[in-house]
Amino acid sequence: MDEETDFDAIVIGAGFAGAATAFQLLKEGIEGDRILVVDRGEPIGGKNMTGGILWGRELDAFKEYLGNWEMDCPGIERCINHKKVGFLNNEDAIFIEGRFASWDGTGGTEEPSQRSAWSVLRAKTDAWLAEKMEEAGIFVMAGIKIDQLNINDLDHTSYNARDLTDPDKDSGVGKAQKWKVDSLPRELVDKIRNGTISGIVQDGEVMTCKVVVIAEGSNSILTRAYHFDRMLHAQSKDDMLLGIKEVIHLGKERIDERFNCFPGDEERPPSGMAMELALSLYREMSQDAWEKYPNTKGQYPRCGGFFYTNEETVSCGIIVQLKSLPEGLHTYDLYQAFKAQPAIAALIEGGEVIEYGGHLCPEYGLHRMPHRFTRDGAVVVGDAAGLVFANGMQIQGMNNALHSGKLAGAAIARCIANGDVSAAALDATYTKALKKSYIFRDLKRFKPATKFLNHPGNFTWVPELIGKTANRVFREIGEEKFSAEKVLLKTRKELRKRNKSNKKGMNIFGIMRLGLLGRKL
Amino acid sequence: MSGTQKIGMFTYDVKNGLGLIDYNIDDHEFAHIIVDIKKCDECSHMMCVWGCPAQCYNFRDQGLKQMKFQYEDCIECGTCFIMCDQGAVSWNHPRGGFGITYSQG
Repeated sequence: MDEETDFDAIVIGAGFAGAATAFQLLKEGIEGDRILVVDRGEPIGGKNMTGGILWGRELDAFKEYLGNWEMDCPGIERCINHKKVGFLNNEDAIFIEGRFASWDGTGGTEEPSQRSAWSVLRAKTDAWLAEKMEEAGIFVMAGIKIDQLNINDLDHTSYNARDLTDPDKDSGVGKAQKWKVDSLPRELVDKIRNGTISGIVQDGEVMTCKVVVIAEGSNSILTRAYHFDRMLHAQSKDDMLLGIKEVIHLGKERIDERFNCFPGDEERPPSGMAMELALSLYREMSQDAWEKYPNTKGQYPRCGGFFYTNEETVSCGIIVQLKSLPEGLHTYDLYQAFKAQPAIAALIEGGEVIEYGGHLCPEYGLHRMPHRFTRDGAVVVGDAAGLVFANGMQIQGMNNALHSGKLAGAAIARCIANGDVSAAALDATYTKALKKSYIFRDLKRFKPATKFLNHPGNFTWVPELIGKTANRVFREIGEEKFSAEKVLLKTRKELRKRNKSNKKGMNIFGIMRLGLLGRKL
Repeated sequence: MSGTQKIGMFTYDVKNGLGLIDYNIDDHEFAHIIVDIKKCDECSHMMCVWGCPAQCYNFRDQGLKQMKFQYEDCIECGTCFIMCDQGAVSWNHPRGGFGITYSQG
């Protein structure tokens, strides 16, 4: 093996995508001391955050390094065998609840009976993964932020890395907004965007390698700066979600009891519950806001709620589509309103908040993917590449991150062995494998689901209609009863009267349209 | 001025939540977000104010005449960079070892 470069591969970011890439490289025969993983968190995992469910068994591929990760990893909290979907309005909550013996491997003959979902807390998980990487002989460095990549034939001191992502201070507002990088000399920009990447620059020092792996996560500066994703230079709020989450300590026994969870024993991890919710909690808040800020009148925030049980704590939070946020509403207030909904308040009652956090989540779908996943000497994996899947029934990014890391690792090892790490060679291996994998196939298949998910009705009248109808159908207060159909139509009529946007949205065609869109889920 | 908002039955201060996070705040000269507050004067929507989950941006919503930004409370989510279409927000991650550290994630 030639030793011209310091490393064979440098992985930026020690999250799931980065760790999977590093482990896969190792598995493919690259020596551990030829792989460097850097992360800006110190300790590693300190910058990472998730809502929290890891789907699938992608980590099994690295059993030789991770051992019995289900039981040993401190951040892998509970095995989910209990899933709920709910519709919440200010008063009513309707849940559809499923308990599946095959999900925790204790039953089921027709479905594969194996544990396939875990609630995770990333700070602990990633710290543990980093430990395992070091044990396997991989170089891991914590507390290091990389803002510049080394490009062949280009002096890294000839430009300021920050200029690549900064807006231009002197020009344009609104749509005409310009970027500093546009005023840099064309040749320089061309080199930055199309030159061969050959390492990283850290504190003015260059570390060279054959392939750089960008696994920075959802808010990736390097992806923007080095032009994997030119759209990020434009405003990308259309496709960005903000997650706000609190970790609330309830204690293990209380969680086992409150959510009916198996407490766990030596062979079987504790079981847990995962819940995703459609919310219509923000009518009054939005209307108040419109009075003060009439610019965004008629706009309701599109929010979804989530609630997951960890071993000692619960993760409770919302996801806000940034585009839909009306003026006058703070995102943290949206979260507080969610927490105050009676059904949610009852679940976290007596708990102590131990952490508050926020994180962006790319929901790009196929239409907004980076325009390239590789460059000469570099690839991008995981959330940095926007590989997050959401269709309303499931939202998952971590298994995609692991899978894309795995594919990248295999591809890079092959390209290094062949002595060709050009974009074309990496494309022929990594991008091709990615496009053939379930990640892309899922994104393609569920492309129409976005239309359903973004339908304003889901955030206003659907949870109201379902909640109120159920409320009336299930209740007996000594009055004459009507069939469910009649109650539904009556509730619809009332809701239509109450609100102008309802009147339009809830006409028969509106409801049929939503139903038709919904069948694509 | 306070960040306390009345919502439904209770009042809440977002800074309580931030008090639970570990911060190692860098010096001013290395601030990871720089806001050109002159541009904010012309801004009609203040989407950074509404989007930021950590209330780092305070402006007309708090009765202020000028944008008041503090990077110290930032939880590094990147929302403000996405929301600002005035070219006022220059965003980067904090230097290695600085900024927030989640203990749970």
